[in-house]
Amino acid sequence: MRRPLSDLRPVYVVGIGLHPYQRPGETPYTALGVHAIRGALADAGIEWTDVESAYTGTATTAMALSRLMYRHLGSTGIPMVQVENASASGSTAVRQAAFEVAAGLADVSIAVGVDKPLNFTMPQGAAGARDLVGGRAAPFTHFALLADRYMHETGATPENFAQVAVKNSRNGALNPNAQRRKVRTLEDVLEPPQISGILTRLQCTPIGEGAAAAIIVSEDAIERLGIDRSRAVRISSSASQSEQVYDGENFDVALTKATTEQALGEAGIGPGDLDVVELHDAFTVEELLYVEAMGLCEPGHAAEALMSGEFDIGGRVAVSPSGGLLAMGHPTGPTGVGQICEITTQLRGEGGERQQPDARTGLAHMVGVGAVCVVHVLSRPA
Amino acid sequence: MRVAAHPELFDPDAESPTLRATRCASCGRVAFPPIAIGCDVCGALEEQLTPIAVEAAGVIHASATVHRHFGEPPTPFTIVEVRLDDGPIARGMGDPGSDGFSVGQRVAATWQVERVDDDGNDVVEPVFAAIEEVRS
Repeated sequence: MRRPLSDLRPVYVVGIGLHPYQRPGETPYTALGVHAIRGALADAGIEWTDVESAYTGTATTAMALSRLMYRHLGSTGIPMVQVENASASGSTAVRQAAFEVAAGLADVSIAVGVDKPLNFTMPQGAAGARDLVGGRAAPFTHFALLADRYMHETGATPENFAQVAVKNSRNGALNPNAQRRKVRTLEDVLEPPQISGILTRLQCTPIGEGAAAAIIVSEDAIERLGIDRSRAVRISSSASQSEQVYDGENFDVALTKATTEQALGEAGIGPGDLDVVELHDAFTVEELLYVEAMGLCEPGHAAEALMSGEFDIGGRVAVSPSGGLLAMGHPTGPTGVGQICEITTQLRGEGGERQQPDARTGLAHMVGVGAVCVVHVLSRPA
Repeated sequence: MRVAAHPELFDPDAESPTLRATRCASCGRVAFPPIAIGCDVCGALEEQLTPIAVEAAGVIHASATVHRHFGEPPTPFTIVEVRLDDGPIARGMGDPGSDGFSVGQRVAATWQVERVDDDGNDVVEPVFAAIEEVRS
């Protein structure tokens, strides 16, 4: 019988670390990853020798990259594995680490996301799967098509989408780990170059490099290692689903809706209980689609809620206080782990200038091309 | 002579473009692009997936003009999603001669010559263009 995470023993995020997301450069991925891991260990106040297993979310660097990175912390012989799930690779690494600890197979596991944008490969060629457009419809065109449809269905305007990038640029400017740290006006965002459909450059995520790490532990580990319980953030639920055949319904939305409902249900809460949300805003249209799919506002009213500040830091629910994929960036493997780092920071009340007041419950959401969706709900210490 | 850029997707001999799809004998799913190996709704075996021809005609579900693209064709060009009269939504190329597309607009495919091969054949693909509604 299928059981939710909450049926197993509780699991907590106790240490987080990041290497700032940045434009692709010469830094070895090993240095990016170790920087984030050392940060997470210091944050938790534990040693590398305390870590019993490692899951590495990665999709665009190279096969078998884990040990070449972890060895710089000392070769302890722990099990390690790469987790590839497209954009949701990091989220899936978190999920696997949480499961291992929740099941009692380990007390301390680490989920690390690390990537450099070196190898983007898609499976369609190997599958012999063709369509009429082939490589002429890049991901940004997929989302431009969704934007066109959304405008038709809701009356939204190109300016409404651009406002998402304005808000997230404001948040990203407050985040030292963000790739884009400049506050942008509506005029800036609407400025050419036009990429596809209504999408301009600043409405598309910058693909870069970086790393993120989250240490996930049991109650036993908190006790045994003397970890500060007041900064431990519980993972209340973990849900993941894959695309079904929806007969023309927007699959990104349908998948997000179903997976979020499962995650909220298994955490025993509703969308109205969320204080912070990090979602897959690789393109501006996605934020409007997903806040509706998650139930954060009524269908067709996302633009209105956005414009009235409901999704701002300090609003009803802060959406992408990190800056999201649009401003913090999307180095692929790290992105989902980075979301867990941001939610943990927010629920600890350590967000500084970008702190959502009295944040108690947060949700992290990623979709991965294919398509898959992974959603986690986190709760702050009592 | 006309030859197909992607013969598994359409029949170049038809006067106006006809798409190659499959219908699952078990669940009725009409799939375009055609699917092999097993049905993506019910998992029926390949023997249950019957090749059918569907008209390359329907209404615009969404469209987007692409301004940034590396390689062929040069930009701008338009990608359309068409709700085919036979059910599925097909993603295809908009006719470069069209003056934009709007959701709900009726379209049908015409042949466009992509290139001429070494034997002098026209290598074609279907592109969608607006058509007048037929009123009875």
